[in-house]
Amino acid sequence: MNPFSPSGRLLLVIVTPLVGAVVAWLLGSRGTGAVRQSAAVTTVITLLGTGWLMLSYLASPEAAAGEPYAVSEAAWLVDGPFNVRLSLGLDGLSLWLFGLSALLSLTAVMVSWQAIEEKPVGFYVLLLVLEAAMLGVFAARDVILFYVFFEFTLVPLFFLIGIWGHDDRRHAAVKFFLYTLAGSVLAFLGLLTIVLWNASHAGQLTFDIAALTAGMAAHPLPMSAQGGWLQMWVFLALFAGFAVKVPIVPFHTWLPLAHVEAPTGASVDLAGVLLKIGIYGFLRFSLPMLPDATAVAAPWIFGLGVVGILYGALVALAQTDLKRLIAYSSVSHMGYCVMGLFALEPVAVEGATLQLINHGLSAAGLFALVGMIYERYHTRSIANLGGIASRAPWLTVMFMVFTFSSIGLPGLNGFVGEFMVLLGSFQRAWSGVAPLWRTGYLTMAVAAVAGVVLGAWYMLWAVERVFFGPSREPPRDHGHTANSHGTSDDTRSAHGHASQHGHASEAAPPTDDLRWYEWVALAPLAVFVFWIGLVPATFLRPSADAVRKASGPSARAFAARMQEIAHPTGAAATADSLTARVPRQP
Amino acid sequence: MTTQTSLSTFLLAGPEITLVIAALVIFLWGAFGGLRQGWLVALAGIAAAACWPGLALVPGELVASGPLSIDAFAAFIRGMVLAAGAGLCLVQAGDHFRSAVTHGPVRRDASTCEEAGTFLLLLAGLSLVASANDLVLLLAGLELVSIPTYILLALKRTDARGQEASIKYFFLSLVASALFLYGMACLYGIGGSTSLAEIGARLRSPDARISDTATVLLPVALGMVLAGAAFRLAAVPMHFYAPDVYEGTGPANAALLSTLPKVAGVVVLLRLLSLGTGGTLGMMALNQGVAGPAAAAWLTFFWQTLAVLAALTMTVGNLMALMQTNLRRLLACSSIAHAGYLLVGVAAAAAADATLAGRPFPSPDTAWTGALGGTTATLFYLATYITATIGVFAAITYLGHRWPEWTSGPAPQPPRQEVTSVDDLDGLSSTNPVAAFSLAVFLLSLAGIPPLPGFWGKLSLAMAALEVDWTARATPGSRRVIFLSLAVVLVLNAAIAAAYYLRIVAAMYFRSTKRGVQADGGIGAGVAMLAALGLVALFTIQPRPLLSASSRAGESISAPHALLATPQASTTP
Repeated sequence: MNPFSPSGRLLLVIVTPLVGAVVAWLLGSRGTGAVRQSAAVTTVITLLGTGWLMLSYLASPEAAAGEPYAVSEAAWLVDGPFNVRLSLGLDGLSLWLFGLSALLSLTAVMVSWQAIEEKPVGFYVLLLVLEAAMLGVFAARDVILFYVFFEFTLVPLFFLIGIWGHDDRRHAAVKFFLYTLAGSVLAFLGLLTIVLWNASHAGQLTFDIAALTAGMAAHPLPMSAQGGWLQMWVFLALFAGFAVKVPIVPFHTWLPLAHVEAPTGASVDLAGVLLKIGIYGFLRFSLPMLPDATAVAAPWIFGLGVVGILYGALVALAQTDLKRLIAYSSVSHMGYCVMGLFALEPVAVEGATLQLINHGLSAAGLFALVGMIYERYHTRSIANLGGIASRAPWLTVMFMVFTFSSIGLPGLNGFVGEFMVLLGSFQRAWSGVAPLWRTGYLTMAVAAVAGVVLGAWYMLWAVERVFFGPSREPPRDHGHTANSHGTSDDTRSAHGHASQHGHASEAAPPTDDLRWYEWVALAPLAVFVFWIGLVPATFLRPSADAVRKASGPSARAFAARMQEIAHPTGAAATADSLTARVPRQP
Repeated sequence: MTTQTSLSTFLLAGPEITLVIAALVIFLWGAFGGLRQGWLVALAGIAAAACWPGLALVPGELVASGPLSIDAFAAFIRGMVLAAGAGLCLVQAGDHFRSAVTHGPVRRDASTCEEAGTFLLLLAGLSLVASANDLVLLLAGLELVSIPTYILLALKRTDARGQEASIKYFFLSLVASALFLYGMACLYGIGGSTSLAEIGARLRSPDARISDTATVLLPVALGMVLAGAAFRLAAVPMHFYAPDVYEGTGPANAALLSTLPKVAGVVVLLRLLSLGTGGTLGMMALNQGVAGPAAAAWLTFFWQTLAVLAALTMTVGNLMALMQTNLRRLLACSSIAHAGYLLVGVAAAAAADATLAGRPFPSPDTAWTGALGGTTATLFYLATYITATIGVFAAITYLGHRWPEWTSGPAPQPPRQEVTSVDDLDGLSSTNPVAAFSLAVFLLSLAGIPPLPGFWGKLSLAMAALEVDWTARATPGSRRVIFLSLAVVLVLNAAIAAAYYLRIVAAMYFRSTKRGVQADGGIGAGVAMLAALGLVALFTIQPRPLLSASSRAGESISAPHALLATPQASTTP
């Protein structure tokens, strides 16, 4: 295969982190510096390759035609009709998430620059392996390959949390792993059922996701008592896997624990990318393949999304630990994605997919910043922090940027996503549901708006307490090395790098402000925060068709169901009017 | 098919005969020639047996002579037995600890010749079981597996727990053999012959008289045979000995017990299962019309019993394992759970064949029965399980003892402490990184984490279970719903199992220790561990050759799935 053809480059991009992991491992004897530099170089190369790939995707005829791009195929587990293939490619659904994975991997390496002193080799190797797995999830075009990457992401993260995490790390790592695994094995059975159903009707076994989507449209799984409600069962099985991953609210208990205990680099990947895999799974499998079951379940999951928004926000309001607060804000913000997705209204679904990227940027940025604060002051307790703005103005500015992005200030990315989700939900509530349900839907949509207010409240309140007011951090303790997760040698590094990068004046006393590697970690995210906020069309347009196509079957099924509820007798005649309404612009 | 014992029979049994000869050489040389390197000669014997030309078999070919029949299935099992035998040989050679409380220097060379020779006899017996086409030879083969196992158990450990383990195993094994023999007697009553081919032909014939006899005798025969096989698999209800025996004996014997008898159990089950279908040849010859009602009853009873046993075994094994702190007890429970997974595959094979038996063949509703038969899945899973299990026990054998806690002054040297509990592995990732990494890979493979081979195995088992009666309607209590639930139980158990495997991994990677392990278990165990790691890596990257081999083997004794996919399926009466 030509390594510079699109498919060759896609393969190279996914393999590069693995090669980088081997290099980092080989450099292990040269000390921390060599290892982290090689990891940084690897992530930069991967990011550049990804950028090139994405630009060429946007210019390609496949993108215009809605076809998958950079497709490559190789046999893997093949025996007779049984063929699991190494099949990779990008399309509108996966494009931005693929890019986000590459971007956040750089951030993850950079925020670990000083924080990881113990066993640096293992840490960076695992981080790079995790990057390859994350890229693979979004590029997989084969069900089994998707599942392999989907579940394999757990392994590096398990070790990252368990070895380099904080006090309760063992418990957090095991709980995270088992919780997610229990859900995903059920999703696995659901996927196999889809494969077998398709095979028994198409007469040929295939694991190809595109072929399965087409097959499920041609022969949907039975959604009736006669067929054993098979479609609903499969939907629930997939829901078990993806809902834990998102996490949708009653299944979220692993998340705050895992986040709080994880090292900063792992938190960045976890919040930024891994939570998105759940929503991506819904959009890739549940919505296009199981429309009838989705239509039945959508109101409930929509409601769970709203509950998640409010619950996450209220719990965040009560937190005293800054990282835990951000973790609960993740629960709340993923609620918008869930809500938008299951509104099944094109605007809302597009908003939800954009919100995935937005939350990826803002949550990763916030977790990175919390990690930086922890490195400096060895505490994450809001009560023990205060007045950071006077000592670290740039750090404060960045924190404000991501905070405003997170709470949806107009002009920043969060606003666009949340606005589209809420707009779509109101559209759904006003005109897309049976009259009987209108009140319920409206209530939920209004409650979600209240969630925006709550979100602004807890974030700004935390900002006020941590960054402004009297300086209240514990005394700077340079001998504080008992804790392995970041010794306070910031003085040395601030001096060492200040002159090269000019973020602090030469003669100034050691400041607590951002150091060069922290700029590298945060600046790209901030650029995208503004870019998406100001020109969202750049990011919405390439994926719009794919998102509509993926959610189309479910939206139509939902419209038909609403029609049936509204007019129980003459449903067939008027169903088309509602169906025709679906691809409407805001 | 006239079956006469002749020179060609001996040629077919070449590998087994080679193994027995090598065993005799080791016994005699050790007793009279002062041989001390018994395990090396044993390895050479295994290599010689593997070089026997009869192993290379043309796909689809069946060579039968006398009581032996070498089909693709037998060849596959034979290959697996020899490969596992080589690995276990290395592990056994490493396990030179006489007892958990040995003081002072270890007598390294003593009695290795007896052990090595006995071990070769065991392998020969297992290989015979795979190729037996006759009840008598089957039983002889099984006993040739059991008796050396007693000896090995008794030779290795002479302390109280070791003796308890060997006595326990001895008596229960005798009971299981007796039950199995009784089942065989019933089979002889049904078939009127000791030849498996003849019994199968009688079962499948549409003769009403046979089905009358069969209705009475079949449940008894099957129940007894299943009990015998369940003991070897360590499946419910014959599972309870496993934790005690594994704990009492050494890690190398535990490696042996958790692999070779399971192979025997699976082989017996699949061979007896194929009585109902006759394999590819039988199907083609017979099923132009309607299969015998007795065969259908046989298969139905088979899958019904096994489905229940499989669900129980998986769940019981995993729940027991969750509570263990002793490493070998934990692995014993996990091996019970794996027996349950294997039974899912066997049950799925029986149920899929039961769909075919007793109705016109080929028929439209069997036009697509699936890609992977239950037999294929079982064999594939068995191979991945054996690789990882031998790896785990090789690693534990290799780790040997923990360093004693040094005391200053003239205090007596503390007793050597074997690695026995999960806590003994604390901090292994910093003291023995290679062993810790290998152990983690094996355990994650057993847990079924992709992309390790254990995941491919579970994938094939889940596929096989979901495929059963795929085109039928899902009504409560129907075969399809039962197997759907079995698949759900299977994957949920995989998630439960991950809990205790992760506990070991967490101990190795997330904890620290002041006392490391000595890694004094011998170079052989270390080599076996690395070889198993290499195999795991190979099956991870390219599981295809193993899958094709198991699929060829599976098709040779199970209903011919590939045959059904051809367009001729539409030409039905």
